[in-house]
Amino acid sequence: MFTKDKLIKFFLALAVFAAVDGWIFTTMQSSVRASAATVRKNALVLLAKSAPSDPGLLEDWLSTVGTSLPGGAAVYLTPSIDDPEVYVPLASNETVLKLWLDVAATEDAKKGLESAYYFEDYASAIKAQLNGTPVRLFYAPITDDAQAELLGIAVFMAPETADANVERLLLGFALGAFVLFASLSGVSRFVRDPVVGFSVLVLSALAIVFIIFPLAEAFRLSFLFEGKPSLTVWAESLSGAHLQALWGSIRLGIWTASTSTIVGFLFAFVIYRTSARSKKFLSAIAQLPVISPPFSLTLSIILLAGNNGLITRQLLGMQNFSIYGLGGLVFVQTIGMFPIAFLTLAGVLQGLDATLEEAALDLNAGRWQVFRTVTLPLAVPGLLSAWLLVFTNSLADFANPLLLAGNYRVLSVEAYIQVTGRNDLGGGAALSLLLLLPTLTAFFIQRNWVSKRSFITVTGKPNLKLVELAAPAVRMTLTAAVWFIVAFVLSLYGTILAGCFVKNWGIDYSFTLSNIGEALSRGKEAIRSTLSLAAMATPVAGLIAMASAMIFVRKTFAGKRVLEAVMMMPFAVPGTLLGIAYILAFNKAPFLLVGTGAIIVISYIVRELPVGIEGGVASLRQIDPSIEEAARDLGADEGLVFRTIVLPLVRPAFISSMSYTFVRSMTAVSAVIFLISARWYHMTVLIYNFSENLRFGLASVLATTLIIIVMAAFGIMRLLVRDTGAFDKTISR
Amino acid sequence: MAKEPVAVTIDRVTRIYKNVKGRADVVAVDDASFVVKPGELVTLLGPSGCGKTTTLRMIAGFDLPTKGTIRIGGEDVSSLPPNKRDTATVFQSYGLFPHMNVAENVGYGLRIRKVARAEIDERVKRALALTGLADYAERSPGRLSGGQQQRVALSRSLVVEPGVLLLDEPLSNLDALLREQMRVEIRRIQKSLGITAIYVTHDRVEAMSLSDRVIVMKDGRIRQIGSPSGIYERPDTVFVAGFVGKVAFFPVEVASTDGETCACTLRGKTVQAGSRAPDVARGKPAVLMARPESLRIGAPDEGVVDGTVRQNVYLGSSIESFVETEYGELLVQIDDPAGKRIAAEGDRVSVSFNEAQVRVLPASAE
Repeated sequence: MFTKDKLIKFFLALAVFAAVDGWIFTTMQSSVRASAATVRKNALVLLAKSAPSDPGLLEDWLSTVGTSLPGGAAVYLTPSIDDPEVYVPLASNETVLKLWLDVAATEDAKKGLESAYYFEDYASAIKAQLNGTPVRLFYAPITDDAQAELLGIAVFMAPETADANVERLLLGFALGAFVLFASLSGVSRFVRDPVVGFSVLVLSALAIVFIIFPLAEAFRLSFLFEGKPSLTVWAESLSGAHLQALWGSIRLGIWTASTSTIVGFLFAFVIYRTSARSKKFLSAIAQLPVISPPFSLTLSIILLAGNNGLITRQLLGMQNFSIYGLGGLVFVQTIGMFPIAFLTLAGVLQGLDATLEEAALDLNAGRWQVFRTVTLPLAVPGLLSAWLLVFTNSLADFANPLLLAGNYRVLSVEAYIQVTGRNDLGGGAALSLLLLLPTLTAFFIQRNWVSKRSFITVTGKPNLKLVELAAPAVRMTLTAAVWFIVAFVLSLYGTILAGCFVKNWGIDYSFTLSNIGEALSRGKEAIRSTLSLAAMATPVAGLIAMASAMIFVRKTFAGKRVLEAVMMMPFAVPGTLLGIAYILAFNKAPFLLVGTGAIIVISYIVRELPVGIEGGVASLRQIDPSIEEAARDLGADEGLVFRTIVLPLVRPAFISSMSYTFVRSMTAVSAVIFLISARWYHMTVLIYNFSENLRFGLASVLATTLIIIVMAAFGIMRLLVRDTGAFDKTISR
Repeated sequence: MAKEPVAVTIDRVTRIYKNVKGRADVVAVDDASFVVKPGELVTLLGPSGCGKTTTLRMIAGFDLPTKGTIRIGGEDVSSLPPNKRDTATVFQSYGLFPHMNVAENVGYGLRIRKVARAEIDERVKRALALTGLADYAERSPGRLSGGQQQRVALSRSLVVEPGVLLLDEPLSNLDALLREQMRVEIRRIQKSLGITAIYVTHDRVEAMSLSDRVIVMKDGRIRQIGSPSGIYERPDTVFVAGFVGKVAFFPVEVASTDGETCACTLRGKTVQAGSRAPDVARGKPAVLMARPESLRIGAPDEGVVDGTVRQNVYLGSSIESFVETEYGELLVQIDDPAGKRIAAEGDRVSVSFNEAQVRVLPASAE
């Protein structure tokens, strides 16, 4: 691959390109400088013309110079009466005056004054520092209207910053062009599979620009205070109130994870280890809450048990009950997140070979003993895994606490308030970075420790015969509990639906259709932008996921492990952190993206990519590499193999990664709430706004609309992939 | 489907797998050179890990040589990707496209080459007829037996009329009976098309029965190249002798060499061996090899060495008799046993050989 000849040619090409690139850069730089100088000169001449002839007004005029010349200032020199070549300086403040006195004695200043004396402008080439910003001096003569007499000389101190920015951008482009050229020509010269080489290049660029860079920015800016390196932000973030929020998040996570794991295990046990009926229905309901939009369950709980809740207030007449706080949060999160535990444990209990239980029964163990000594111990890794997954999700959860936390403090909401309420981006970054600590820990324990201790053994033919472990009475009790929960979940959705048709929940329960019209007309723009953004992200995310999976499974290249780890990272990064990191990183050149739809689409893609990649990797691992080799061998190039062989073969994973991205983008909130703009709004944020303003009817209509869209998306996907396994994979996170 | 057959030249090819994390590099193929003549079927034979599959993959383009050149029909293809090479591979696991039916599988290479639709149909039909699959065109590969899948893979490779047909242990996933049938069939088709073919296997019977020439490899190096009978009857090393067939070895001292033959001493007696390996010389340790069919059982003290019959295995057309001697257990093949008097298990016997049929080899285990 690397021959001397090729290397020499490569470096020659690089040198030629660098020379041309450098030449273009310097020419453009000087022309930018020249034109900027002209523009500035004209502006200053104009400014000089505005100088009053009445010396009494001069001080006012000097103070206005600061506003028309941001960061700059001016000194007004009046020729002294005794000697017209000696000037009396007048400045709006001490710093400016001091700067002038420093400069006044130099040759350059003398030249400037001399020019002005002869009614000519003079732009100094020397830079000076004013309050830390570089400025250039410009000498402008002020004359009477007849241009006969010199009234004074205005010395402007004009900041450089504006054209320095342009120059930096130019330099960025020049360097970028060079890097692009070097990498492209390097790949096409030295890599045998240019397609793969380019894909790796693109993926690496994606990972660096949209994952590493924003997170690094968030990290860096959390160590800055008023532009200087400082630990102030962290000191404040680690102060009592915020630590309380961190502890609040962890406490909530522990509670939710524990209750969700119990409920999830209950469902999984009843469905996969007893002879209960309607298992398909139960399983479907147990997965429903995962795909329900944020705020919807909270909304429904507030309608039922809030301050004016149907059950608490109207039916039970309770006065002092409050759903807001830890209790309500654990409740809502459990309903929303037990499906994660269920899906994990369903996999575990399905994978447990019933022969083991039969063997234990055969050795004369009682049913309870079998459960205690065989089933439960074998399920322990699964239980731990489920617990950690729910814990991570609970900590990252933003929507539920936002509406329901009340006085209880959690970190994700705290970070949001820090950013939106106090406009303190650095503080928000620090708080959400704090959140990263427990989530990353849980994520890595789950990944690298628990998942490796799984007892699921796929050896020979699994015994599909069920061993009934629960005595009839026990089974009835468990089944009843499951059905009770199912009924409750369904009633929550029923409440949202009912909310659409109620005039004013809590006060006036009369039937109305007006909510629908109002919500849809006020939400029209949001619905449109939410749909179009999700629709844009979906195919891109699906394709990138499959291409990355293909590269990760089939190709070897230096740094593959690192790239893989970085691409998977957003899985463990709370949405709040990603959102804050994105506004920090992309609100300035060269990536000025805040406020555009693009940044929202990118955030969707980056966040949902890991799940898509995992699906693609799992499905590619099932495919014999010689299938792709055969296609290659028969004349197809790398791209054609991907299109005609790989993509059709991983179709289920492809479609499910797309539908996953679509659904998650439709129901996104934690990251997107920071990135939306007036032009690009999101339905979930609108639901939140309606709920905050107690317009529950409107919120219900939008939530219902969102649920319908999500359900439709899943319906379409199920039609496209008649394999329920893909469905399960899609929603388990 | 006839096309002018091409030659394949492997010239001093080495493939080294760099092993990161401080482990030693693996030399998968070490300085291998050979030429496959146009229309010839050559087999790469060797134990697993000997580099035969790596060699084939380098010819196909799935792997690149670290050093050396590969030529197909005179063109240096050493760094060309697989899709730019005039080869077609039949894979061990077939590599059939599960999302296409049999006809689509076979037509894939033609579609990639943008052949007209009518011609594709015609050629696919002919290729399927050639392998006896005419009735299965619409089937999905998942619903075919192993042998049928094998035929689809073969048709798919043949239909594009490759300059070189590469077969990577194509029969290893089939049961014994089918393997024998397919062996014959592959050879028949290859001969009728006159296509150049390179076949990889670790099965010596397969290699013997279908090759024009066999290349025996071990530890990345080519040990011997020759016709099946040449390799079997005139191996140059103990390894090749043992790998291509059952064999008994007797340590001997070389007395003199003379052209192709050699005189040596075994248990004080002079043996005029029928042939010898080139490396055999007076004073160097040597062994005498004898195939089971050149060994005979006689009364005690009559033969070269005495021993006890341990076990007789009846195979119909022959009996394999295992005789325990001081040189270990020797396998003697008794052909056409019907009516012959066979020494019973436990009998004391002697083993002798036909001097014209034995060969002297250098004694090193390689």
